Amino acid sequence: MFHWLERNPFFFAVGVFLVIAYAGVVTILPDFMESARPVTGTKPYTVLELAGRQVYIKDSCNACHSQLVRPFKSETDRYGMYSLSGEYAYDRPFLWGSKRTGPDLMRVGNYRTTDWHEYHMLEPQSVVPGSIMPAYKHMFKNVADIETAYAEAFTVKTVFNVPYDQADMPKLGTFDEAKKALMDEAALIVADMKSQEVKEAFKRGEIKEIVALIAYLNSLK
Amino acid sequence: MNWLNDNVNVLALLGAAAILILTVGVSWKYIQQMKTDKSSGELAKENWDGIGEYKNALPIGWALSFLGTIIWGLWYFLAGYPLSSYSQIGEYNEEVQSHTTKFETKFANPDQTTLMNMGEGVFLVQCAPCHGVTGDGMNGKAANLGKWGNEEAIVASILNGAKGSEYPLGEMPAGLLDAESAKAVAAYVMQEVSSVKKTKNPALVEAGRALWATCAACHGDDGKGMAGSAPDLSVYGDAKFVVNVLGTGKKGTIGNMPKFNDGRLTNVQKTAVGTYVSSLVK
Repeated sequence: MFHWLERNPFFFAVGVFLVIAYAGVVTILPDFMESARPVTGTKPYTVLELAGRQVYIKDSCNACHSQLVRPFKSETDRYGMYSLSGEYAYDRPFLWGSKRTGPDLMRVGNYRTTDWHEYHMLEPQSVVPGSIMPAYKHMFKNVADIETAYAEAFTVKTVFNVPYDQADMPKLGTFDEAKKALMDEAALIVADMKSQEVKEAFKRGEIKEIVALIAYLNSLK
Repeated sequence: MNWLNDNVNVLALLGAAAILILTVGVSWKYIQQMKTDKSSGELAKENWDGIGEYKNALPIGWALSFLGTIIWGLWYFLAGYPLSSYSQIGEYNEEVQSHTTKFETKFANPDQTTLMNMGEGVFLVQCAPCHGVTGDGMNGKAANLGKWGNEEAIVASILNGAKGSEYPLGEMPAGLLDAESAKAVAAYVMQEVSSVKKTKNPALVEAGRALWATCAACHGDDGKGMAGSAPDLSVYGDAKFVVNVLGTGKKGTIGNMPKFNDGRLTNVQKTAVGTYVSSLVK
């Protein structure tokens, strides 16, 4: 029945390749096409949020906190809706995390607020008894690096076509425009904070790392 | 060891015995056949280093299972995998569905004790990070729930205003009434409007009724908040009032309270939190 195939090893190999390739096409491609697109409503980070994200990475928050809610009831009860790959479209790099020493932060913006983060970063045990998280007091002293954050946004806009400056998307513009928008955004957060040091620094035109970090955490929804 | 008490063990042992008997039987048959068989028939064209192959018809059972595998393979490639494969989200949805059904049946008509226990559990997870494990607001980091939802709290709201609940009629400004009038209105609200129906200052109720017009502009003549335009005061002191706050969130003089309307809490759980929080009021 298949003697002709056995006599033609080349075509036999081509046949095997086609069958296996088909399996790859039907299993991998449809998922890829659908889930790799940005989810509706996903927006690139503003410059202030990017500055906060850089603080988050610099201080290795992702070493203890993942940003990936898995589709299990036990997880969605605690952290909210499970994550979709399209939600990470503008995350460079993604901050999934491989280990949860602390809770997941994928949607922390839904259930924690500016003032809570302020208490928590200053002294975690004051709001979460028994927490093993260290205090991050230096964030109230260090000034956020706005220039680098703007450079990052400008780079991903230019190189990867991240949709800044488009309808319903965050504005980027020139550095001066971005700086002005960023000060307005920071003003709202500073107004909700208690620290006099941060407020006075803001009046001098300085944005402390804590302000940027809170902007970033509040944006995680 | 009672190995045979376990169905799986019994099946495994039976299977092992069957395989042993079949192996011995089949081997014996072919060994006998090899002793007597003579080779005959037409040789196929291919010849590998002197080793030939007879053109034998396929054994019927083998041919059928081969064909069956091909048909199954086509179905699996074209329909089985693409249309009805395992999906993690599908399993999650089933998990949630079955939990929801179980939850709704079990807590269709929860009694007070159930609500209190459930409320305490949810409170410790969702509310304690800001309001503290005991609900005392942790030295002013959030509202002290022991001083919230009673007559003094109404006076405080009138004097300090109430902000950030995002009701259509806007925020309640501070100082609408002076301290004495506020006390009278609080007495009126507790006695006549709220679900508590009891005041510490019954003498002030009539004075409060006379001043109610200031409040009625937003809360309505009956205090029900004019169909959601302002907070409904007729449920003040009741779990429902807490449920309303969970739905709107708050942005007051102390800090921000997020909304709890993203599906994290079911309606029963919200009522449970309301019952528990109401019980904290001193």
